Amino acid sequence: MLDGQSLVGKEISGCEILTKVAEGGMGAVFKARHKALNRIVCVKILSPALANDKKAVTLFLTEARAIAELDHPNIVNVYNVGKEQGYYFIVMSFVEGQTLSAMLKKERVLPIGRVLDLFEGVLKGLSVAHEKGIIHRDIKPSNILITPQGQPKIVDFGIAKKVDKEKGSTKTTELAGTAYFIAPEQALGKDIDTRADLYSIGASMYYVLTGHFPYNGKNTIEIIQKHINEPVPNPSKLRSDLPGWLSLAIQKLMSKNPDERFQTAKETYMYFNKMRAEEQLRVKTMHGRAAIDLGIEGPLKIVQEEHHSTASIRQMNGTDALRALSQKQSKPAHRAPVQMPQLDEMGNEMDDNPPKSAPPLAPTQELVPEQKQQVEQKTVPSSTTALAAIQVKKHAKMLIQLCVLLPLFLVFAAVCSYIFFSLGKACSVYVEENAGFMANLLAPVFSGKFVEGQLLYSALSVAALTAIFSISSVKAYAKTTAIMLALAVAAYLAGLFTPDNPLFTFTHVGEYLFSPEYYLCYLLVAAAWVISLCWRLGRTWPERILGASLVILSVVLVYRATSLTIVPDISGMTVKLFFTGAFLFAILAIYYLAAKAEHSILLPSLCFLLSLGCFWTYNISGLASNIQTSFNTLTAAIPMGEPTEKQKKAMEQEEFLGISRPQLFSSFAATKAVNYMTPEEKYKTLDEAIVKYAGPFITPEQRPLFIYLLSNYYLDGPNKATFQIWDYALSYPLSNFNQNAQDNNAYSFMVLMLFIMAGFNCAGGILFKED
Amino acid sequence: MSTFDIEFAAVTDIGKIREKNEDNVLISSDLGLGVVADGMGGHSAGEIASSIAVSVLAETIRKINTGALKIPDTFLPKLAPTERKLLMAANLSNAAIYSTAQSSDIYKMMGTTLTGVLFDKDCAIAVHVGDSRIYLYRDNKIIQITTDHSLAMEHVRRGLLSKADADKSKIQNVLTRAMGIKKNIEFDLLKFPIKAGDVLVLCSDGLYKGLTEQAIGEILNKEKDLPIVKLCKHLVRVSNERDGQDNISAVVIKILPPKKLSFAQRVRQIFSLHK
Repeated sequence: MLDGQSLVGKEISGCEILTKVAEGGMGAVFKARHKALNRIVCVKILSPALANDKKAVTLFLTEARAIAELDHPNIVNVYNVGKEQGYYFIVMSFVEGQTLSAMLKKERVLPIGRVLDLFEGVLKGLSVAHEKGIIHRDIKPSNILITPQGQPKIVDFGIAKKVDKEKGSTKTTELAGTAYFIAPEQALGKDIDTRADLYSIGASMYYVLTGHFPYNGKNTIEIIQKHINEPVPNPSKLRSDLPGWLSLAIQKLMSKNPDERFQTAKETYMYFNKMRAEEQLRVKTMHGRAAIDLGIEGPLKIVQEEHHSTASIRQMNGTDALRALSQKQSKPAHRAPVQMPQLDEMGNEMDDNPPKSAPPLAPTQELVPEQKQQVEQKTVPSSTTALAAIQVKKHAKMLIQLCVLLPLFLVFAAVCSYIFFSLGKACSVYVEENAGFMANLLAPVFSGKFVEGQLLYSALSVAALTAIFSISSVKAYAKTTAIMLALAVAAYLAGLFTPDNPLFTFTHVGEYLFSPEYYLCYLLVAAAWVISLCWRLGRTWPERILGASLVILSVVLVYRATSLTIVPDISGMTVKLFFTGAFLFAILAIYYLAAKAEHSILLPSLCFLLSLGCFWTYNISGLASNIQTSFNTLTAAIPMGEPTEKQKKAMEQEEFLGISRPQLFSSFAATKAVNYMTPEEKYKTLDEAIVKYAGPFITPEQRPLFIYLLSNYYLDGPNKATFQIWDYALSYPLSNFNQNAQDNNAYSFMVLMLFIMAGFNCAGGILFKED
Repeated sequence: MSTFDIEFAAVTDIGKIREKNEDNVLISSDLGLGVVADGMGGHSAGEIASSIAVSVLAETIRKINTGALKIPDTFLPKLAPTERKLLMAANLSNAAIYSTAQSSDIYKMMGTTLTGVLFDKDCAIAVHVGDSRIYLYRDNKIIQITTDHSLAMEHVRRGLLSKADADKSKIQNVLTRAMGIKKNIEFDLLKFPIKAGDVLVLCSDGLYKGLTEQAIGEILNKEKDLPIVKLCKHLVRVSNERDGQDNISAVVIKILPPKKLSFAQRVRQIFSLHK
């Protein structure tokens, strides 16, 4: 591989590699010793990454051979070129000294006369190359080496550059040439000739004389485009001692149109020489009063122009970009960049001082670190504070959501329930109290019992609600919820309005809100909400907390709505606590699982059912044992007489036969009298017996249950009675629930509406496309 | 996931003269993702760069979807979740290429373009770096929705070159942005609503060198009823016949009307708080 260690000490083309001098994207340059000549040379090796690229290799070799033909003091000599040990190499003369850009950096200010001397040499060398048809393509101060004797030498003659830009050629991120010195036609990808090098000479002179690049910009592209587009800057604005002719000559070299430039390198240096001679002459003819002496250092005017290092530019653009990013765009649009690109990021070989960084002038050098620091100090804390602010904002948003959502939901649920209840009442207010729900609902339409006008209102209410839900069902709980509420209120008012007492419903709101039938309504809404939250994917934290709160609310509401008339066994406090704890734990577990298992609702559902089971078991076990105890006391207290002779004989027979069904037979005999009674007589007899023997135990509300149990006991025996107790206890919560619900129009109405809504929703989902 | 039913097809061809195919394509209907990457660099580095680009991108999105990878809260918090997901994936992809490139001299110069589309509900979100393109075909019209990151297009944007000149320009191949050449690069992120009947064509430069925008539009217009895979192959074949100087890759994505929902999805929709 191409690294210093592996090649140093090796021998390539008779040269012993000594040290690595520079490395660029295209290859590396080594200092080497030519063994036969015992002379220090420079060996350039093509990057192995390009060694398989036929075009790159061909170019590397042909250009090297072309330059080898050139023998000029201002061009680095090429001794050998070829391939050895798998490496493509060029052996060149080793030039002690430094690049022009390094020199400029060190000396800061170069006298005009010296600059002209140097460029004369460069132009002479370039002229020879141009005569051979070789275009350098990348003239810049860092490609001009200055020997200790002060002689300029042009290096890097487009060697190993991916210059070929033919159609179908390989993609690259590098443009031949350097952005600060590139000719417009080269930047545009047009065919270029030798005059492109002259443009670069002009740009280089501008830089060397003024210490500023002719064009500067945020990024390479901007700079390149300025070369193409912007008017040629006047260098004498930056350096006042610049002779007018030189300023004009530089501007002429930098003309956008190649035809307007000096046409050859020779013409250029000839012109320079002519003008310098004239200048000298003029100075001499001014009778010793030296106005301008080109040999004397003129101070460089440092104009405090904005100078940014590329890093700071990038950072600044980063913050700009972030700002731009915050402006959200919904339409197709390009996002602002997060970082600015640098076209020539990969660096150029032989380029120890790439001019893309800050200009090598003292004040700017001092300025750059300062600015960097400033930018860093500014941007780093601001970004962290911004992030902190975002997080605080996020939390605050969550809290606000929570604070607003929960009460809002409760208000919403209450309002909805109230509206629905009233609507249900409006629909069923004049029909049979004991009639079923459907009868109540249908009656207003068919019954003749209605007050005039009421039928119309009821029909209107139903129609309005149907319309509301048909709209809302297309997008359940969506924006249409607001419209739904508005329409529901209108329907409610229409249904309940009576000329006699228009404000009746408003004045009695409080009475309705906290009754068991309302708890059922709240429960329904809460449950629907919880389910909707559970089914939703990607819940946010406020939603999760809301969901959990609603589950707990549902439980409370279930308890309130069933309003148990027979209290379960309260003596077993431990049992109760255990069941309650288990139940709450189960809820939490469900909630957690539901939150975790986004895609599977099965497990949480099972857990939910299990927890319901816990609740149920708790209720029925207490209830059953309670009733059983009461029942046993009751049957023990009620005397039913001794068995008759015949019964005794039958029992003996049974014992003898080994068939023991004493319970059945005894009960059969004992209850015979009761069993022959009519239902009314039986009810009366048993009721009296209960009051007589167990008055203090059993409340009047519980009496019908015990009459029922006793009648079964006497008819079918104690086993049957026990079974019935458990049957009752098992179905107790449900039957009690239903019993409560039976008289609750609001609840029934809501159940129906949910069904309708779901039906419409399915139909809507099938029939309408969501857009 | 999108509310639409989306069909994907992808084809890549080495072309007539190239010795290797440096393009890579990837489609995934699971993720709702289509990607084209066009690698560059010597040796086989181009292929490696483009294959890292597409695989890391897809894998990251998959990981984020399954929750195996979490997007840091500090990562562009103002963007929508899907946009963040795509940008995060693109960033990781770039970092992967960059670190591979730095690991060896052979890979040093490698880089790749990356142009991908991720679908979300009724929107498509595109991430774009380099000179691969996305064309949107809608109502018998075709438009290029990405801007090439080539020097030529930069000049066009500034009005320094005409579009026609740019297509013939020598600097068309000079990219101003590419994956893997820097640690952090900027991505173009585009979001646009999709409609049933839209066709998206993601392609490497090989395809549009042989087929102009208009020609692609004409083919899409003429072969409307062709199955999408055949359409994709047809585009690549025609381009190869006309030019074939470069690798040719195309991903064709067709947006169909929303698919029938499953029972579970429908029930979920009933109780959904979503719009």
